[in-house]
Amino acid sequence: MYQLQKLSCFFLISCCSTIWMAGCVNKEQEAINSGAKDADSLSLLSGKNPYSSIDQSPMDVSYYPEGYPQIKMAMPQQTAGPVARVIYSRPHKKGRIIFSHSENSLCKYGQPWRFGANESTEIEFYEPVVINNKNLSAGRYVLYCIPQEDRWVLVVNSNLHSWGLHVDPDQDITRIELPVQEQKPALEDFTMVFKPAYYGADLIIAWDSIKVILPINFSKS
Amino acid sequence: MKHLLTAMCFLCASAAGFAQAKVIPLDKSPLDVCYFPENFPMLKIQGKAAGPLLARLIYSRPSKGDRIVFGELIAYGKLWRLGANEATEIEFFQNVKIGSYKLKKGRYTVYTIPEANKWTVIFNKENDTWGSFGYDPKKDVAKITVPVQTISDSVEIFTISLDKISSGFNMNISWDNTKVNLPIYLQ
Repeated sequence: MYQLQKLSCFFLISCCSTIWMAGCVNKEQEAINSGAKDADSLSLLSGKNPYSSIDQSPMDVSYYPEGYPQIKMAMPQQTAGPVARVIYSRPHKKGRIIFSHSENSLCKYGQPWRFGANESTEIEFYEPVVINNKNLSAGRYVLYCIPQEDRWVLVVNSNLHSWGLHVDPDQDITRIELPVQEQKPALEDFTMVFKPAYYGADLIIAWDSIKVILPINFSKS
Repeated sequence: MKHLLTAMCFLCASAAGFAQAKVIPLDKSPLDVCYFPENFPMLKIQGKAAGPLLARLIYSRPSKGDRIVFGELIAYGKLWRLGANEATEIEFFQNVKIGSYKLKKGRYTVYTIPEANKWTVIFNKENDTWGSFGYDPKKDVAKITVPVQTISDSVEIFTISLDKISSGFNMNISWDNTKVNLPIYLQ
């Protein structure tokens, strides 16, 4: 019963923060609609900081199991360790063409993309996993992709702690082709989340009106 | 009014819509990262990194807004996660010494107990936690008291940086009119 109370408490907090954040998103949209330049909308949103401003494409983290740190806090005795987490930056669409053949698109077909912005995207496995029939030991890896219209090549690479993307195929660990699927509703913010699957978990990578799903195999305890 | 309507829509959506595809909004206190050496990933790709990565800190960055931060939003004498959302984490890529404590390379969770004139900064071995709800003092590996400095230009967004000093780096923490420096020495 105590656990249930704790969980309901977390639910209530989540609902409240959703409402709070709704206001925030709305404010940002107004800034974009009013035609404010990037730098202006940034200072409008968050004030000036003499040390280090908040990034236009802020960093975020997703765990598997989803929301692991909160689950662990609610049920400290019953929670086994996390299996994976991904740390990435989240650019906004802002009316731009994201994926296409055009030179004007943000991610042109055939050009490698770091998944997001700023630092290259990092995935960490807390236990050994299998991706594309390749055994990966526990540890950190870089993820990037080469988007095409109907399929993406997703690459697991070992060149950690780097900015942007320096494609160095010598450090590639595995490459996997994934079909492009429709994303509804279309997403303003680039999103990476884990969802449970019978073989382990899926990493869902979604932006605008498309998504790809990376299957990750591990033994379920 | 528009805000109120949006908020009500969100409330209905979150109450009724768990089965639908979830669109995760960006957080009000976004995650950020800092490195020592500063800007290491950029230096690395430019071929300018003088040595390996030595430390990385990941934290969430709330904004002050109209609030008074220390003593009100964050109570004196109580444990604080040093940010928002997930507890702040620091990873050392080689062994370090903080005060009289020797810490092996690896990842730690950082908490603090702020007071008006001094802060206690705590390094703890329990990783991947949310807030300070699950704090277990038995897993502390270092607990250091550092003095508080007052800064005249208020800092709007909670900021941590890792700045070079002789034989190591300072973990500089600033928010509102408060600044704290914690020296960390490489071993």
